[in-house]
Amino acid sequence: MMVKRLQPMMSHARRSYVELMFQVMGRALQAISEVDETTRNETRELPEGFLFEMQVMPNGPKLIVEHTGNGKLLFHGDEAPRPVDLSIQFKHIAHAFLVLSFQEKTSVAFANDRMLVDGDVSYAVRMTRVLNRLESFILPKLIAERAVKEYPATIKLPEKLISAARIYLKVATQFVETVRA
Amino acid sequence: MTNKYYEFFCPVKVIAGKAALEHIPYELTGLAAKRPMIVTDKGVRAAGLLDPVIAACEESGLEIVSIYDDVPPDSSTSVVKDIAGVYRKEKCDSIIAVGGGSAIDTGKAVNILVSEGGDNIAKYSGAGVLKHPLKPFFVVPTTAGTGSEVTSVAVITDEKKGVKLPFTSSFLLPNAAIIDPRMTLTLPPHITAATAMDALTHATEAFTCMAKNPLSDAYATAAIKKVSQSLLAVMDNPKDSDGRLELAQASTMAGIAFSNSMVGLVHSLGHATGAICHLPHGLCMSLYLPYVLEFNLESIREPLGELLLHLEGPEVYSATPASRRAEVSISAIRKLRDALYKRCELPRTLKETGKVLENQLESIAKLALDDGSIMFNPREVSHEDAMAVLRRAWA
Ligand SMILES: [Fe+2]
Repeated sequence: MMVKRLQPMMSHARRSYVELMFQVMGRALQAISEVDETTRNETRELPEGFLFEMQVMPNGPKLIVEHTGNGKLLFHGDEAPRPVDLSIQFKHIAHAFLVLSFQEKTSVAFANDRMLVDGDVSYAVRMTRVLNRLESFILPKLIAERAVKEYPATIKLPEKLISAARIYLKVATQFVETVRA
Repeated sequence: MTNKYYEFFCPVKVIAGKAALEHIPYELTGLAAKRPMIVTDKGVRAAGLLDPVIAACEESGLEIVSIYDDVPPDSSTSVVKDIAGVYRKEKCDSIIAVGGGSAIDTGKAVNILVSEGGDNIAKYSGAGVLKHPLKPFFVVPTTAGTGSEVTSVAVITDEKKGVKLPFTSSFLLPNAAIIDPRMTLTLPPHITAATAMDALTHATEAFTCMAKNPLSDAYATAAIKKVSQSLLAVMDNPKDSDGRLELAQASTMAGIAFSNSMVGLVHSLGHATGAICHLPHGLCMSLYLPYVLEFNLESIREPLGELLLHLEGPEVYSATPASRRAEVSISAIRKLRDALYKRCELPRTLKETGKVLENQLESIAKLALDDGSIMFNPREVSHEDAMAVLRRAWA
């Protein structure tokens, strides 16, 4: 049957998409922490060497960044050099897909019990604000308004970074269209 | 199709009303518990509130094996360890917590130690650490506000490290919550007022924050209606036991609502203020509620407007144009605060408390931004936003 054959393809595509978006976000997190003072004001409060992970349960795709000091973040890909300090875990790849395809806001996903926090909640609160800010940077305004609680009134970021991220995004959105179709 | 999704969980048996305490022996027997220990504080004992609990058990031939009545207002890891020691020595098999938030949290934490073993409660801190059901655990609330009898959270201070340890697990939920009007009958006016405002805030935030859902909404609106209808009546006539029962039930219902849909900025600011200025939690809720609703207004206009029906009743609701209902809801809460100020001088502004300095506002704002509940506030909150709300709440 057609439906049966489509199902594994869908879930494979979803997984690839989530992996790709974690790459995009990891790089973008590092970039934004280099150029955006508001982001650094949040991340500076994290301990130096602090490792943050986003993961899909039970052993799905991962994103790991480290706070290397003075608010700067370093993207580690999907391998942590040591045990992480804070982990935000999606309960299922489907939930990660909802959030990373900007169909569900990060804070709504928390509110909807889609994700779990393992670690200090005050750091999780901080990282959620950073993720919200990141999404408003790399997304066109229209999509960003759907993805974050509030679109910041003032964002200044080098056009180069934005366009680079948006190229990824374009690939990504085509992906979504394919998977959703 | 919408992306809406929610979870709702409350397995606590609620035993409420006249002579509810007398159900304790039967309920304990049903869980094969024969040797209960009472965990409480000195205030509860001095107010004579243990007597009806003990009498209810003895009349059924159930002996209370041990009573620990020295729980401090901010319970600590060493207190939990001591109580667990007594529990083991006396070979108890169940716990009855009688009191407010601290006694209940202590009961939850003691239950972890005596069920899981060991002396170090810090080991079980965090979310989802517990994997098995704990010993039979009953809660008899003596304040009508915290809702701790239906929440899966406990907070215990680690006095050596000077940090507050959170414990989260559905196994912390008691088997039963016993709501008896006798237990809140002697609550002094300012505590009655502050704890009821805590319940009102739980319900209002549950109904207006991001994790609201249809089931918690039903509990929240019912709780708001009960507080609005009974609080001032009880303030004017403290021995009104029907009114007391209404407030106690409202507190439990609001607890069920917020434990399933979380709270928001009122609690973030309130937790920070409690930590820095040592003001009671319920008072902090009353201080911030209207100002936070004003800050969130444009994001919560619809649900807040709906609350007018439960705050002021059908006449006011239908006489108010839909576009004005949210504002009138806020006025109703301000009116209630004024009425409480008249009756027991419950402060309405930070300045009126006499315990907050204006130069502490910065640190309150900073701490509030780290509070977990801020995640569920319908509006994103920056440091400037938090400061703006604090300045409005100042005077
Ligand atoms: Fe509260």
